[in-house]
Order: sequence, then structure tokens, then C-alpha cells
Amino acid sequence: MSRNAHPHAMAPSKPGRTRTAPPQLPDRFPFGGRYLAYTLFDLTGILYLLLGLLVLCAVWSLGSGEASWNAVLERHRNIFYLGFHAIALAGLIFVGIRFFGFFPKAQPPRVGPLKPPPKGAILVGLYALWIGVTVCLSIVLAGGVFQ
Amino acid sequence: MSDGQQKKTFVITRFDPDRDDAPRKQAYEIPVHPDWKVLDALNFIKDEIDATLSHRWSCRMAVCGSCGMMVDGEPRLTCKEALDQYGDTVDVAPLANFPVVRDLVIEADGFMEKLTSVKPWIIRAKELAVEEGPMRQSPGELEEFKQFSMCINCMLCYSACPVVANEPEFIGPAAIALGHRYSLDSRDEGAAERNEVFRGEGTVFSCSFANECSEVCPKHVDPAAAVNQAKLNAAIDWATSLVLSRGGSK
Amino acid sequence: MKHPLLKLEPLIWLLFGQGILLGTILLTPWVLVVGLGVPLGIVPAEALSYERAIALASHIVGRLILLGLIVLPLWKGVHHMRHSFIDFGGAERDALVAPLLYLLATIGSVLALVAVVRI
Repeated sequence: MSRNAHPHAMAPSKPGRTRTAPPQLPDRFPFGGRYLAYTLFDLTGILYLLLGLLVLCAVWSLGSGEASWNAVLERHRNIFYLGFHAIALAGLIFVGIRFFGFFPKAQPPRVGPLKPPPKGAILVGLYALWIGVTVCLSIVLAGGVFQ
Repeated sequence: MSDGQQKKTFVITRFDPDRDDAPRKQAYEIPVHPDWKVLDALNFIKDEIDATLSHRWSCRMAVCGSCGMMVDGEPRLTCKEALDQYGDTVDVAPLANFPVVRDLVIEADGFMEKLTSVKPWIIRAKELAVEEGPMRQSPGELEEFKQFSMCINCMLCYSACPVVANEPEFIGPAAIALGHRYSLDSRDEGAAERNEVFRGEGTVFSCSFANECSEVCPKHVDPAAAVNQAKLNAAIDWATSLVLSRGGSK
Repeated sequence: MKHPLLKLEPLIWLLFGQGILLGTILLTPWVLVVGLGVPLGIVPAEALSYERAIALASHIVGRLILLGLIVLPLWKGVHHMRHSFIDFGGAERDALVAPLLYLLATIGSVLALVAVVRI
């Protein structure tokens, strides 16, 4: 089923000599075929915004005293918070895999005198960083070090 | 044509600005050869059944970029796509995201304007004199931009791009890839000028990395790579221009 | 896009880029431990006791990580929300929506700085 794209999509600066039919969106946009992954990718913006705000509230509460901090911890045991964080974790993994997959080809062949590492090395480096930071920071947060 | 020959039905978008208020669909059932491409079917319909059908085509070998259309909802070069990968009914429509002039023919002038806006030529601060000899370029320097020079201007990437669909000023995948091709060329000294275009109203930063352009490109140009490399270059150029009186890149 | 912040697009994109890259990397352990591990009892609750949390967060590295954990996702979040809005046909209102979203991220970033300083 066709739907209209922006009425001026790909329009020339001066109209042509004959009337044109309005531009149509690609059939499968936004939820069909490959577009689904892209649309979901952009929609993770909501997850990230909420996560950022939740961390902000947590840090603010930490600075407001013990009772405030304990209230934050109590809230995180709520089923809706747990459900949100489970979805957020899936979103983080989805974003990481998709973005890291694209990252190597987004590096120019040269910036001034500097050349990027080979694409394979960039990809391995990104996943090593992700896994390494996750493991280390998780150990710190979970009390494995700095008791 | 023998009675045992396979038939397919082509549901084609028709639009005559003198007669039709809006585009409509028209179905043609025709016998098809097993080795036909989609374009062969369209040419058969025009030659044998309905001479009023209008469509663009030329080289028949996927180098001219003329025959781009939506085939079963995907932007494709009709001379390249074998018919036998499609079912008994094939939907053929004009390229998405473009104004439609007639039937399967889209208005391409907007694309031409975007193409020229990125200054797709070698820019030199000072031209070499003839006596100084040719500009030399090593194979390594050629490799840096060669992929992005393979574009045949078929506009399939514009049809696939969700940003092109929604933001009319966006320069778009092929044009940005072409501009980036020149900025990467060791003979070129115009990267700063092009970065100003890339940061202007048609801004490269509108790209949201759908990667659809690269998915549909028949020549494996990977315009998504070019656009996102161009973003980084434009951002570096912007940052250095804050510090220096004119951007640091060549 | 014709919107008032066109000249700041490179900066916004750089912030967004780090938001995706570093934001995703930093948020993963936070969500695993603070969002799921401790509330579900997989991680002992003492790990995030007030005393321990204050000790970790008071260190300069702790403050920087917490700052990153707030600021980076905010910029990734609002930038992608803006793109989603445009994808669903909101391009004509982008000149209004984009500045509002980036203002939200700016306010959040300023509050993040205050939050980590006041610990």
C-alpha cells in the first residue's frame, strides 16, 4: 500500500513542465522488512533517555542521604522497574551489535596523516572494550573489589 | 509463443498527468521467457500490448542507471533482476521518494541539483601548469576513494532512504558519496569547501544510518560508509575551524 | 534541515556518537548490576549499601563514570528520538521539536554535573 512521502521529497528547485504525482514512501517503511531493525534502532532513543534520567535520579538521591538512596534501591525492586531494565538490556545489546557492526566502515581511510586500523581490528577492539568494561565495572559494582 | 509457456501478471503503476487525477494500477498478463529480466517484460508489454506505457531504460547491463524502479516494493535495476526470482504476480512501480512524471518515469532534476551541489570535480587552489607534468597518484591513493567512484547515478539509494523520504533538503546518499569521493582524492584540495556544503541545509548529519542505501546499491558503492565518513570529516573540520581561522583539512 | 541549531549539528552528532559508543558500554554493567542483579538478589544487596555507594561515587573516577552514565545516554536518546519523530512524518515540526529535545539533554547534563559534584 502506497503512502505519501514528504510532498517536496526530491523536488527540483523549479517545477517541471507537467504535473507530477506526489512522491511515495517505500512500501515497507517503517516496520516492514529491513526497515524494522532500523526503526527499532532509532526507537531505542526512548530507552536511553529513560536510563539516563533514572541514573540521574539515582545519583541525585545518593547525594541526598541514606534514606533517599535506600528508597532508590527499593524502587528498583518494583516489577515495572525490573521489566524496564530487562527490556533496556535487550535494547543495549541490540544497539551495540548493530552500531559496532557499522562502526568500522564509518571510519575514513585517512584523517590527515592518520590511517585507521584494519576493519577487523576495529571490530575486535570494540567488542573487547564492551566486554572488558562490562566485566570490570560489574565486578566493581557487585562488590567483587573495593569492598 | 507456445501455449505451454509460463505466464506472469505484471501490476504496473500508471499515471498520465493529462488524464489521471492520481496514479492507478493496471495489470498485464503476459507469456515470459525463463531467462528474461524484469525489463524484458516491460519492453514486451510496451511493444506488444500497450504502447502508452512509459519507462526509462538504456544499456540493459546495469551500467547506465536509467531503469531503476520499485519491483515488489524494493528499488531495483529492472535490467539486472531475473524474472524467475519473482512470483506469478510482479508489482512494478516508479521509484519511491521521487515525484512521478508519468507511469514509471520519475522527476530526476532534484537529484541532479543535489549532485552538482557537492562540487563533484577536482578543486585545486592553483592549477598545475602544463610544464609541471601530470598529477601523479599511487595505487594506494586510488584505493582510498575508488569504491565511491563506482556510482552509476541510478538513484535506487534515494528510493530506499527514509531521510530522503522525510527531509527534502537532505543531500542524499549518492551525492554525498560523490562529494566524499572527491574529498578523498589525493589530487583534490576542495575538502573544506565541500564540508561547508555538507554542514549546510542539506546536512550530512541528517543521515540516521539506516544503511538501506548500501543494501540496495547495485554497484556495491556502500554510500552509507561514505556518508558516515563524511560526517566525521565534517565534524573534524568544524572543530578545527573553531580553533583555527580556517579549517585544518586540505 | 532548516532548524535554528544547524550550525551546532557537528557538536550534537559528536555527543550522540559518544552516547552510542561509550553510553552503551557503560550502561551495560549498570543495568546488569543496579537494574537487575541487586534487585533480583543475584548480587548481594550490601554491594550497593549507602556507605559503599558513597565511597565509590566520591572517587574522581567514580564521579566521571557516573557523569558519563547520565550525559551520554541523554544525548544519544534525544537525538534518536528526534530522528524517530522525523521518520514518522514530523519533519515540518523539527524546528520546534529538535531544540526542545536538545534543551532537555542540556538541562539533564547540567543536573548531572551538579549531581556528581554534590555527592
